[in-house]
Amino acid sequence: MIRSAGILINGALCALAVLATAAFPASAQTGRNAGESPDRPGFQWTDHPTLILGPVAQVEVRARVQLDTHPTVTDADDERAGGLDLAKRRLGVAGVLLKIVEFEVDRELKDDDDPWRDVYVNLRLARPIQVQAGKFKLPFSLDENTSATNLNFIHRSMLGSYLSPGRDRGVMVHGRVLDGLRYEVGIFDHDGGHARTANPARVYGGRTPVARVRLSPFRSGARWRRTLQGGVAFTTSQVPEGVPGIRGRTVLDASFFSSRYWVQGTRRRYGTELRWQPGPFSIESEYIRVVTERRGVSVENTDLSSLVAEGWYVSGTWAVTGERKARGLERPRRPVSRGGLGAIEVAVRAESLGFSSAATGEAASSSPRAEVIVGNRDRAQTYGVNWHPHRWVKVQVNAVREALSNPALGPRPGHPVFWSRQLRLQLTL
Amino acid sequence: MIDRALVGHVGASVALVALTVWVSLAPRSAVAQTGDDLFDASVVHEVRLFMNTRDLAELRARFEENTHYPADLVWRGERVRNVAVRSRGLGSRNPIKLGLAVDFDYYTTGQRFLGLRGLVFDNLWQDPAMIREFLAMGLFNRMGQPAPRESFARLYINHAYQGVYAMVEDLDEEFLARTVGGRNGVLFEFKWLYPFFGDDLGDDLAAYKPIFEPRTRLHDPDASLWGPVRDLWQSVNDEDSVTWRPSVSRFVDLEQFVTQAAIENYLAENDGLLGYAGMDNFYLYRGEGATIHRFFPWDKDNAFLRADLPITHGIDSNRLMRRALEYEDLRARYFAVLAACAQMDLEEAWLATRLETAAALIVDFTHADPLKPFLNADFDRALDFMRAFARERATYVLDAVARQH
Repeated sequence: MIRSAGILINGALCALAVLATAAFPASAQTGRNAGESPDRPGFQWTDHPTLILGPVAQVEVRARVQLDTHPTVTDADDERAGGLDLAKRRLGVAGVLLKIVEFEVDRELKDDDDPWRDVYVNLRLARPIQVQAGKFKLPFSLDENTSATNLNFIHRSMLGSYLSPGRDRGVMVHGRVLDGLRYEVGIFDHDGGHARTANPARVYGGRTPVARVRLSPFRSGARWRRTLQGGVAFTTSQVPEGVPGIRGRTVLDASFFSSRYWVQGTRRRYGTELRWQPGPFSIESEYIRVVTERRGVSVENTDLSSLVAEGWYVSGTWAVTGERKARGLERPRRPVSRGGLGAIEVAVRAESLGFSSAATGEAASSSPRAEVIVGNRDRAQTYGVNWHPHRWVKVQVNAVREALSNPALGPRPGHPVFWSRQLRLQLTL
Repeated sequence: MIDRALVGHVGASVALVALTVWVSLAPRSAVAQTGDDLFDASVVHEVRLFMNTRDLAELRARFEENTHYPADLVWRGERVRNVAVRSRGLGSRNPIKLGLAVDFDYYTTGQRFLGLRGLVFDNLWQDPAMIREFLAMGLFNRMGQPAPRESFARLYINHAYQGVYAMVEDLDEEFLARTVGGRNGVLFEFKWLYPFFGDDLGDDLAAYKPIFEPRTRLHDPDASLWGPVRDLWQSVNDEDSVTWRPSVSRFVDLEQFVTQAAIENYLAENDGLLGYAGMDNFYLYRGEGATIHRFFPWDKDNAFLRADLPITHGIDSNRLMRRALEYEDLRARYFAVLAACAQMDLEEAWLATRLETAAALIVDFTHADPLKPFLNADFDRALDFMRAFARERATYVLDAVARQH
């Protein structure tokens, strides 16, 4: 019954997207008529289907469906190549009440265990001070905090997917001070969903303070350098005694490091980020280091060297059809519906994700209480092409080359280097 | 005037004294130890294991599982880090005085300790005399049959005395390399699940897999691992007396099997190849690329049942032994080995001497053993029983062998 309902919802979402693509291109491209009051009650379809209740409230409906070909990472995957997976089907509403209370509620229809994604309200007291509360992503990591709709690649960077905290319940104060300085400071129940697995025995961080500062130093300068932005972020939390949930997975989500090492103590995340989007180009880079203490967990109940997870990426894109990256490619200059090619972008990313112990020197061991652990590192390059034939449709093709330092722990033991490929069709309302 | 020779002599003496002092003060670990040192039976070794208290509590709580836990092992000042410890044993398995198997390379690939890949700490739970296993394996080695080396150890876990253990060489590739000269063959540990007297379990390999558990070449295909084992037991059950021996000889070293069975019967072993509940406590080995198998003895805590245990005990119930002894040369070999054991024992007072040596070594430590499942008086009585066995067995066996002729 539930399965049938899911199929029905999928079908409805797909149909809605296709219908919208075909039926409302003109209105969608032009938006609201000039001179029309934005508070006039009624239904409008600009960026999203929107219900406007005068100055009191404005509510948008949002939906996203992603269809992926089966990833080809393992030999078993090769046998399934060519099939399609419904990767995501997201439905949500977002809006503004009384012009100062923003809200968003997102539900992933494909996830029965933890379906609610963003569920929060944001109080816009003033530009320098806003207060956000609910369940949402911790302000840490540029890549993780980029909407899945706008990703340059099918999959987030490995550090964004596994080292950044992800979502949790909490409250955050944020805003813009001076010109070009943004801050986000919050406290959350735990250190995010990425530190957890389906295995309840795995441990994760408790109450987590987080801080992030981003600076756009040339915000009022020449256009080509205006979009330059750099930032740093930090979290800390206490992790109870146990085996941690943070693990290493490849770009296409195959395990290459499943930690069996006991931890206990403070976990700290350090992050730096950089983004620059001059014209049709963009460059992004991040570095994250997660250090988790191992207090009192040795065979003699003494401390062990910390467990270290570390990752970085550098990526670049070029919109070959000329769109300005900072404005997004979802509005092609020459959409297919008007006889154009849509927006076409090429992208490349180099990244690394590794796990180790802080100590070195003695023989590495897979003992859960080893001073020097058997770590692993994945170095990956992703090559992609993104095609936006229309603002609601996006097609992505990625080829990924990955190299594991310890292939025995990876998806293809004996193959230190392997290629994967995947295609995604994304429909967004 | 001082004589130059005197100066030279004094100088040499001083140098010699200095050398002696230096050697005596040098750390013991500087002297290379070997596996033979670990199994030096002239001392009771002190072995210390260090385990996280959480793991130790879980090991005791889940003693019936074979879950591995990390530990460090210390012997004569040498610390082996990141070893794996698990509960072991069948009837001897318990949460109080843990029977333990130590794997040196479970967590650290290729790690060896004194050339050993694994080490067993036999808790001697079922032997009030504490020396049965030690004496039995000693006799196998004395008679030229490869068997695990053993010595006694005082075991401490996290500084708490656990009692006297038999430290037993594990049967693995390193044992094979030491005894039969090749580490690439297939070694099976026999797992007693039901009375097995050498029966034909059918064509399906699945019937053999649970009771013949591979300890080497774990990733070989089933047909390669268990196919020859099935062929072995099917040939044993071949009813044709003309083809039986050539057929079985393709899969079993019959002379070796008969020899091991004879030594076990000299030891009045009631739970071995010819055990009361079927075959038990042995390993089966097949060389690389070969089809022929041989046996290794294991776990002799139930030997020395009684001095007058018949020398033909268990023969009739075991299909392989019964058929083998229908051949005159094999029958002669069986009784000859029994007689050789008895003769050697009689001439050298082998059992009695070794028994007294071992008993003297462990008596104080055993009396102080806080976790043994019997009283000190039980231990003393069991030793007396063993002394009587040592006095009587050789004569009994020689008489019985003579009657066979």
